[in-house]
Amino acid sequence: MNVETSVSGTTAVATVSGRVDSANAKDFDQALRAIIDQGVSGLVVDCSGLKYMSSAGLRVLLIAIRKTNAAGGGLALCRVPEHIREVLEVSGFVRLTKVFDTPEDAQASFSG
Amino acid sequence: MEVRSELHLKLDKDEPRRVAEEFEEIAMEHGVPMGVVFKFQLALDELLTNVVSYAFDESVDPVITVVLHFTDAQVTAVIEDNGRPFNPLQDAPAPDLDLSAEDRTVGGLGIHLTKAFVETLDYERKDGWNRLSLVQPLSAHPEEHA
Repeated sequence: MNVETSVSGTTAVATVSGRVDSANAKDFDQALRAIIDQGVSGLVVDCSGLKYMSSAGLRVLLIAIRKTNAAGGGLALCRVPEHIREVLEVSGFVRLTKVFDTPEDAQASFSG
Repeated sequence: MEVRSELHLKLDKDEPRRVAEEFEEIAMEHGVPMGVVFKFQLALDELLTNVVSYAFDESVDPVITVVLHFTDAQVTAVIEDNGRPFNPLQDAPAPDLDLSAEDRTVGGLGIHLTKAFVETLDYERKDGWNRLSLVQPLSAHPEEHA
């Protein structure tokens, strides 16, 4: 798994690639926490390179959703591969976070 | 096509990934549809993560095996362990998907996904062993064939 980050003021895009499972969810969690701790309240997670995510990854997203909600922003996902989208639907996460086609659309959702 | 693979796991949090990746490799080699590969490896990962995380205390020497079996008609996996009795199909808490992010927990989500993604799941406890079997028919997903 790899996370690339681009921070711009209070919003950021985290592009995650590879596999997120119970073996490395802690690294994913640390990466997102480090971004939020920089004062980011609107976090976009770009999933275009995400090959696999289990419930361990959902746990990390849930924590990041709570933290960004509490900071007055939120978390949005974009470019989610079809099979990961199904995980989000079955787990009810589509009700907790918005899913956009592009990072630009996702970022724009925080500036309204 | 008929392939059988037996894997023995150590009590280690990295082991479910090894099984998931081994499954993926064999499945892809044998033309199992991508959608089935993803769902089935997620189920294997979730169930094995439970086993390596919670099934054992220091009183037993842990034995965990997974047998994968591929035919033209279906993919099956049998997970056996000599850990404490646990039927994830019944004993895991059902997640409340209607709660807000603030009120939600992720307990039970892995099993919830597993039940949604795998066609047939069975559990039995016999002679000190937990035995979980997963069966996914391949003909039920013709639209996913590449």
